[in-house]
Amino acid sequence: MGQYVLESVWLVPIYALIGGLLAIPWSPGIISKTGPRPAGYVNLIMTFIAFIHSTVALSISWNQPAYEVFIPWLETAGLRLSIDLEISAISIAAMTVISGLNLLAQIYAIGYMEMDWGWGRFYSLLGLFEAGLCALALTNNLFFSYVILEVLTLGTYLLVGLWFSQPLVVTGARDAFLTKRIGDLFLLMGVLAIYPLTGTWNYNDLAEWAATANVNPTLISLVCLALIAGPMGKCAQFPLHLWLDEAMEGPVPSTILRNSVVVASGAWVLIKLQPVFSLSPLVSSAMVGVGVVSAVGGSLIAIAQIDIKRCLSYSVSTYMGLVFIAVGTQQDEAALLLVLTHACAAALLVMSTGTIVWNSITQDITQLGGLWSRRPISGMAYIVGVLGLIAFPPLGSFWALLKLASGLWETQPWLIGVIVAVNALTAISLTREFGLVWGGKPLPMSARSPEVSWQMTLPMMILFGLVLHLPLILQNLSLLPNWATVNKDVALLLIWSSIFGCSIGGVIYLGNISKPIRFPWKGLQNLFAYDFYTPKLYRGSIVLGVDLLSKLTDMVDRFVVDGIVNLVGLISLGGGENLKYSNSGQTQFYMFTVLLGVALLGMIVTWQYWGNEFLQLTAIGNQ
Amino acid sequence: MQLQYFLLLAAALFCIGIYGIVTSRNAVRVLMSIELLLNSVNLNLMAFSNYLDSTLIKGQVFAVFVITVAAAEAAVGLAIVLAIYRNRDTVDMEQFNLLKW
Repeated sequence: MGQYVLESVWLVPIYALIGGLLAIPWSPGIISKTGPRPAGYVNLIMTFIAFIHSTVALSISWNQPAYEVFIPWLETAGLRLSIDLEISAISIAAMTVISGLNLLAQIYAIGYMEMDWGWGRFYSLLGLFEAGLCALALTNNLFFSYVILEVLTLGTYLLVGLWFSQPLVVTGARDAFLTKRIGDLFLLMGVLAIYPLTGTWNYNDLAEWAATANVNPTLISLVCLALIAGPMGKCAQFPLHLWLDEAMEGPVPSTILRNSVVVASGAWVLIKLQPVFSLSPLVSSAMVGVGVVSAVGGSLIAIAQIDIKRCLSYSVSTYMGLVFIAVGTQQDEAALLLVLTHACAAALLVMSTGTIVWNSITQDITQLGGLWSRRPISGMAYIVGVLGLIAFPPLGSFWALLKLASGLWETQPWLIGVIVAVNALTAISLTREFGLVWGGKPLPMSARSPEVSWQMTLPMMILFGLVLHLPLILQNLSLLPNWATVNKDVALLLIWSSIFGCSIGGVIYLGNISKPIRFPWKGLQNLFAYDFYTPKLYRGSIVLGVDLLSKLTDMVDRFVVDGIVNLVGLISLGGGENLKYSNSGQTQFYMFTVLLGVALLGMIVTWQYWGNEFLQLTAIGNQ
Repeated sequence: MQLQYFLLLAAALFCIGIYGIVTSRNAVRVLMSIELLLNSVNLNLMAFSNYLDSTLIKGQVFAVFVITVAAAEAAVGLAIVLAIYRNRDTVDMEQFNLLKW
């Protein structure tokens, strides 16, 4: 029985997909009499089955060796595409996290989407996401990872664009699709370029190949740069980070999923490809560079936001930047641990702030305040989420960051400085958000703010417990770094940076300093508040270039290519219009042309005799 | 006397007829120019029959037919001119440009 559960674990994505498909009939155009709610319940049941299946499989697979399943997909001349599935403890654990978080997000959505008619579309897309993410966790093949990433990009477009009657949603969905698509297309270049080198897309074979590979360093650098571009877009890394900010226009329950799991899909591919990246020192440093810029930039931007959801979206970019640093310095395990702890904590934070938005309407944190006495559950969930996200022992992310930083102690100590700084900055930004929303005096928008219904509180509380228990779970699974081996100085540094950040945030935003806080230098404050003016940057560079080029192409098409063809017609038209005047109506003119024609024809026909005849005629004349 | 001179004379007459046809404004003068053309043709026929076919003189037979037909054609032509004149009250060729483009 146990073995059977383990062997059929590939059904998990299929459950989710079926759940997504089953939700479609309750779209308002098909079944409108029952209302849309059955879509959510059906999907929830399927997700629950998926979660139970993967949990049971996880407990069975824990101490078993990983094994691969090959499902042939397409065989053509010279190319065999088989869907490689890796059934290992890690992939099943990832599926458990995905389906578990999706289950919670779906329960949450039952409360959050109560006043919404669009459950059919919403839940079918959530099902699609769950299926895609679980399939991504299972697949052990770069090609199929790419396929799934593209499907998820389309899913993001549709899910962000759920309420498409809002103009900002439409532009946000557009940017989310195009930005991720650009990254995915670069990834496709890398995927295609790596095949001639390795002859395989299987991650295990790639790792084997990378262990003994001897390739041109420039070539492998270029290939690897293309390969990191995909995850860069997926993980909302600099400079492809704007989409995550604009994707906050979508509904909150999908944001839970996006902030915790979807962005991690890029990190998953990155971690899987780490053996290949280690071939090129340039790419490793590029990854570290991108990670550092995103982490520092994201944490600084997050401090300057006033939108409750955007505060959190930039800290997602920050933590994915830390994952980039981890992969760039060849620390897969720290990266995986960070993805896990971040997923739980980020989901909890989004759930908590979502409950505030649900009952306080505004998302502007400068208009919220004084909610602690009336919204203690959401507040506590937020606090635990914060502590789970920053390095606060004994909660999860402390161990992940500690593992990451200890690994850097010997090799790149300056990166520890970055991590400590990012940790402190994130602590400041999250404490600021807490101080503005729960601390201070109630403002008009938050004067009457009841706690939300149980459908939203229940998943939040379950996740609350999970984040609190995560260290115990990790310890039982012996995933925590060994206390004896980790660097205690680093641990102290991290703890102090968290305390430092939280106290600064607390003193400024819970103390009696007049708000809104004005930075001494207003330009800098606006620079962070407007996300380094990234939209302007895009519009001034890539968008402008493509726009001008497409306008130019359009003009060339319209005037030159079309023009040449139209000119032919125009000339024919003009020719007919002008040559008709040769029909003058004068009979004598017609006679003249007939005679002219006959004379010319005669001249041409007799041309060859002309010389002789004239000679003879002159000879006759002379006689 | 040689054949060429007859032919050259006939050609000259033909050219004069052509000039008359193309330039005359009076419709009757156009018909007269056509008669000149036909007469130049007759000259040719007579000259050829005299110099090249003096036994069977087929050219002369041709010339007789041409004269006959020319007479008939002139009759029909004058009838047409008369018909146009009755309608349009003029025989000026430059007034007959109704059927243009």
